[in-house]
Amino acid sequence: MKVKTELVHFEKGIELASGSKLSMFDLMVETYGELDEEKSNGILVCHAFSGNHHAAGVSENNDTPGWWDQLIGPSKAIDTDKYFVVCCNNLGGCSGSTGPTSINPQTNESYGKDFPLVSVIDWVNSQKMLAEYLGIDKWKLVAGGSLGGMQALQWAISFPDSLEKSGIFAAAARSSTQNIAMNEVAREAIRRDMNFHDGDYLKYDVKPKGGLKTARMLGHITYLSEKHMDLKFGRKFQDNSSKVDGDVDFEVENYLKYKGEKFSNSFDANSYILMTKAMDGYDTASNFSGNLEKALACIKARLLIIGFETDWLYPPKRGKEIQLAAMNVSVPCSYVTLDGEQGHDSFLFASARYENIIKAFIKS
Amino acid sequence: MAIEISKIITDWVPSQSKVIDFGCGNGSLLKDLIDTKNICGYGVEIDHQMIAECIKKGISVIEKDIDEGIQDFESSSFDIAIMASSIQCLKNPNITMRRMLKLSNKCIVTLPNFGYWKCRLALLAGKMPVTASLASTWYETENLHLCTISDFEKLCSDSDFMIDERIFLNSSSKKGLLASIMPNLFASEGVYLLGKE
Repeated sequence: MKVKTELVHFEKGIELASGSKLSMFDLMVETYGELDEEKSNGILVCHAFSGNHHAAGVSENNDTPGWWDQLIGPSKAIDTDKYFVVCCNNLGGCSGSTGPTSINPQTNESYGKDFPLVSVIDWVNSQKMLAEYLGIDKWKLVAGGSLGGMQALQWAISFPDSLEKSGIFAAAARSSTQNIAMNEVAREAIRRDMNFHDGDYLKYDVKPKGGLKTARMLGHITYLSEKHMDLKFGRKFQDNSSKVDGDVDFEVENYLKYKGEKFSNSFDANSYILMTKAMDGYDTASNFSGNLEKALACIKARLLIIGFETDWLYPPKRGKEIQLAAMNVSVPCSYVTLDGEQGHDSFLFASARYENIIKAFIKS
Repeated sequence: MAIEISKIITDWVPSQSKVIDFGCGNGSLLKDLIDTKNICGYGVEIDHQMIAECIKKGISVIEKDIDEGIQDFESSSFDIAIMASSIQCLKNPNITMRRMLKLSNKCIVTLPNFGYWKCRLALLAGKMPVTASLASTWYETENLHLCTISDFEKLCSDSDFMIDERIFLNSSSKKGLLASIMPNLFASEGVYLLGKE
């Protein structure tokens, strides 16, 4: 599989939904496979809240497989022998695209907490600029899970003529009260870290790693299902030899701490706050007086919505809401519930049925 | 689905109408309706293999069982709701039919006739019938509420479901003379177009 990583610069900048403007910006982009001559085989995949442009394979700079490697690759559900797959790190992220750790050209210092609020709509707009840069008028498919699914949905609304199909997996038309509540606890953990310095930690050359770790640990619980955690860890005690610290009793504690620690080394706290705010703030219907049907009425793409049985963050009923509203305004839309044992994270993992359905959808 | 039934249904569905097919199988009926009548169609199906086939055909399909689908779509509206060979598998066919007529202007229902002479003969011989339209053995069948043509029409009249059209088919799924004269005895299957009172 041909993997290409590129930092694309957009000199003309972008107006954000909040009213702020980025006078110029960069997107870190990874592509897989090759664009055909008609530029008609493009598939855009959108990452979830903590994901990045590295969606599949291994690249020069990254030898761990991408976040959707189980589904993207030669002969996989999203077949890179046939399609040119594109993924970019979203604006406000911390994996190379312009975000809080980037230098603000106005001040020549890092944006830090002053990075403007970004939204799903802004991401989609910036991805449209990327499509224009690549010469792709119409994506064969725009797809993603969780916050990525929200982008896939927003694409169909913002640019009805610029995609044939939209794959919306483990997502919702808006975050629920509980989603917002969970995210606020995570953000509060970051803010309460004494190294956070009200978001100015870069100036002090420190990182609120403890807060970020706690936030990620909480996040992780919401991404997994009760059943999966039971199967994976049960009430097993952690081996003394492999405990991350002395407070650990159970395997599940060790796992969460290990994952949280790893995450806190690589992720930026302001990005965390920004990304979760974007997720909480997204409401497909907000520009349509809260009426989801009206929001979806302009869609020309065919939608495939997939919910996962064990997902309690964006449970199947959230996907069904989109399906019902789409059907009521005669938008072509299929809905499928998959077993997926890993809770919300199920959208990341291949299963025979998941692959089969995505393949059938792309081919149709 | 037999070609004849599919043809009858296609004739009854107006061009460019919005159609929901409860128990849509592999989506071939909806595909025909889209190709010939330019309808906007949705299918409801529970079988995984069938769902994948619908998606492959580009048919909008929703994974739900019929009862759940009809309840969830209470607020939706369609020109035509189709329920082919499924009514006898539902928990409460009468309630389901009333709900179907609430969310659509017209319903198309097909059902196997338990009063068909071969069924009666089988029962006379002391056995549960296995026929073309009732193909499974008693322990494998999904049917819960089998009825005769007379029973079904009585339900329609008791419940104020208007029968706009009715066509009876013999065991080769053809319109036969005997089936049309004495449907309760000679029709293997009934195909109905129902409307509101």
